[in-house]
Amino acid sequence: MRHKIALAAALLAGTMLTAGCDQIKQVTGGSEVAVEETEFPERVFWGDTHLHTSNSVDAFGFGVRLGPEEALRFARGEEVTATTGMKAKLARPLDFLVIADHAEAMGATKALYDAPRLLIRDERMKRWYDLMHEGPAGSQQAMAELLDARGRNDLPQALTDADAAAERTQSIWKDHLKTVERYNEPGKFTAFAGFEYTLMQGGNNLHRNVIFRDGIDKVGKVAPIDPTYKNTPDEIWAYMEAYEKSTGGKVLAIPHNSNLSNGLMFELTAPGGGPMTAEYARRRARLEPVVEITQIKGDSEAHPFLSSNDEFAGFGVAGWELNNLLMQEPKKNEMFAGEYVREALKRGLLIEAQTGANPYKFGVIGSTDSHTGLATADEDNFFGKHTGNEPNALRANEAQNLGTGKGRFGWHYLAGGYAAVWAKANTRAAIWDAMARREVYATTGPRMTVRFFGGWDFKADDLKGDWVRAGYKRGVPMGGELAGKPGARPTFIVSALKDPLGANLDRVQVVKGWVDKAGKAQEKVFDVVWSDMGGKRKAAGGKVPAVGDTVNVATATYQNTIGAPTLATVWTDPEFDPKQRAFYYVRVLEIPTPSWPAYDAVRFKVKLNPDVRVKQQERAYSSAIWYTPTA
Amino acid sequence: MTLRSRAATLLREPLVHFMLAGALVFAVLSGRPPDPGERRIVVSEAVANRLVERWMQSFRRAPTADEIDGLIRDYVMDQVYYREALRLGLDQDDEVIIRRLRNKMVALAASEAEAATPTDAQLQALIDADPARYAAEPLLDFTQVYLGSDTPASRAAAAQALGALQGGGAADAYRQPAPIPATFSRTPASDVSAVLGDDFVAALGKLPVGQWSGPVASGAGLHLVRIDRRDPPPAPRLADVRQKVENDWRSAATQKAVGEAYVKLLEGYDVVIERP
Repeated sequence: MRHKIALAAALLAGTMLTAGCDQIKQVTGGSEVAVEETEFPERVFWGDTHLHTSNSVDAFGFGVRLGPEEALRFARGEEVTATTGMKAKLARPLDFLVIADHAEAMGATKALYDAPRLLIRDERMKRWYDLMHEGPAGSQQAMAELLDARGRNDLPQALTDADAAAERTQSIWKDHLKTVERYNEPGKFTAFAGFEYTLMQGGNNLHRNVIFRDGIDKVGKVAPIDPTYKNTPDEIWAYMEAYEKSTGGKVLAIPHNSNLSNGLMFELTAPGGGPMTAEYARRRARLEPVVEITQIKGDSEAHPFLSSNDEFAGFGVAGWELNNLLMQEPKKNEMFAGEYVREALKRGLLIEAQTGANPYKFGVIGSTDSHTGLATADEDNFFGKHTGNEPNALRANEAQNLGTGKGRFGWHYLAGGYAAVWAKANTRAAIWDAMARREVYATTGPRMTVRFFGGWDFKADDLKGDWVRAGYKRGVPMGGELAGKPGARPTFIVSALKDPLGANLDRVQVVKGWVDKAGKAQEKVFDVVWSDMGGKRKAAGGKVPAVGDTVNVATATYQNTIGAPTLATVWTDPEFDPKQRAFYYVRVLEIPTPSWPAYDAVRFKVKLNPDVRVKQQERAYSSAIWYTPTA
Repeated sequence: MTLRSRAATLLREPLVHFMLAGALVFAVLSGRPPDPGERRIVVSEAVANRLVERWMQSFRRAPTADEIDGLIRDYVMDQVYYREALRLGLDQDDEVIIRRLRNKMVALAASEAEAATPTDAQLQALIDADPARYAAEPLLDFTQVYLGSDTPASRAAAAQALGALQGGGAADAYRQPAPIPATFSRTPASDVSAVLGDDFVAALGKLPVGQWSGPVASGAGLHLVRIDRRDPPPAPRLADVRQKVENDWRSAATQKAVGEAYVKLLEGYDVVIERP
């Protein structure tokens, strides 16, 4: 009898039978102990810290049916079948993956989709249910409406019911961790536990991805949380601190899409106004050592409004510069300063000058934010932002504006964002530690190798010897800090090697930001080394002429007959003032290559609208090296 | 008070007695002899415990007596509606219920494979069927001279440099600066691929050991290469790849179990497809 009831209860529970099993088995597949760390980072590891699967409320709503297991197999280089039926495979595997499904309403749309229609009382939910069952177009409409309601804090009560949500989250999380554990193979492929904390106010994006250093033994003791405060990250920071204290584990958070925060991501003041305290600044810098600078929903490095002397500012801002995330509040010019990373690095110096602590001393990575379960960032193999724009003939021209009919189109999505990590091994511990010390860089998709060391005595001759060792022994790598040295100028080793499957390099630049004597933040971009085309390409008036363009849009091809496969130099800051706090980071530009809509046009034989971006110069951004004057 | 004793107390609550009596009366008045399985709703200690535990997971505190009453009332209401709906046949022709139950049957069939532990022999058989998939990564040992982009000029330089090297001389005059080590030693093939590309790694496999040859094209340009050591391809060892093989085994076993369970069920049916 009792047995029967138990069975009935299990059948009645809204979850899958397998989810009812609470026991988490410690998987003993690979041991981290067995993987040796090298003396210093010898190779860069490539990954995506921001991938959504069918456990994300919006991803499922947009139609994706691939779960964490398919996502992990795909990232490891295996072929999977995408939701829309196409075979999908990366040109080469990734080295690590963070599945960062939204904690908020985890599994809620899936639960709604699976629910008996009879029992759905809320009229809006019934409508979304029907739309989702109609097919992909209906699903997208349902999600547009759901996200809009979310931005206005007007979700149906049944979707935000804390009781049901906590139970769903728990059961999904436990299954998820088991899968992550099974696919984590130290030394070969790292699968991290993580989730997305979707902090948002009125459609202003303050989202963070939370990434654990630990395995199921520690992470299994907590569950993802979603925001209850609507405008400050205090709650997620308290959660992270409590996790570290109670388990002895480690966790960090990566903010993303500052470009859609309407000026709130990198404020000069404390959230909501008032002076920022040193305590807030230190806490933020410690818990959020890395920021996602580029992804499918636009690039957040620099905006032409802020960096009018930088002709390469403004990559991937089209479409995204109009509004906040949910298109509920148009953007004003004065908001840009709180949205772009270069400006944030400058603001960090200003705040440090006033409070003694820099909240924005962070490194940078790229990632996809793909909602297809497929971590694709290659222009010629782009599976879209969500299942509604997996490869199809119309996707580049299509409106993508959450049903508002204005502003954003499919081609505004970038095929991009990967994270490059200089770690001492491919393990959770080693990759996480490299993120914590900011020894990371971002690319818009191509896998170029970028090294950046700062010191006081590097010479051009160093490049002839073992300069990597010299870089670590006599200087600091990207993400590091330089303290003053009397009478010396900072020198930098800068090196870039093209993606072996990709385009040649146009130039390497150093971007410097500093606080001048008047207490104002300044910036300047230096071309430090470029492909000189046999001595024919010379700088004039402080500018290096454009590299040229071999893109054939009609065939979606380009030639590596311009640019250089590798560029390296030792650079000294000619304008160094030892009294001024400053940062330096590297930007590497490729020669122009076709964009994903151009590849689509050839593949599907469609005509693109005239304003669609058909080519671009892809790029890498290093984490900065900071100089602080000695008091 | 422990959860267990709280639930035990609960069963002595008047409200619970009232509800149970009500269910019984309802059953009697409905005219049919009550089928004890169908017409009794028993809120056992285990059920009550489960309700309380689930509640505590969300609210992080023990429920009050009123709240427990509410949980039980809701549970009974679920049961009554659920059973009555079945009696009225509301489950029939409802596509969502059909799909939901199909999902549960599939999950049931899959759950055994999910929980099963494969034997070493089963895993070894998988490795033997596709050794390349499970082989340890080859380690590469070679020395290279980078000559720059693939151009007619670098091809000409390659020929001269190769001559110099084969004659026992040096090729430093031809070497172009690049962040690529001159010597790779015990380097996993994928590390070389990440910098120079898969095609370059594949080409290395065809070169003789101990002598300079090339030029070999990589993603970065042209190289002269000397293979310093080549081991026979490593045989996969179960101990090294257990998790990966087990993942594959589990994925295949789940699919197989689900397929077989379906065929077994299908055998119990006559399927008639009437063609127009």
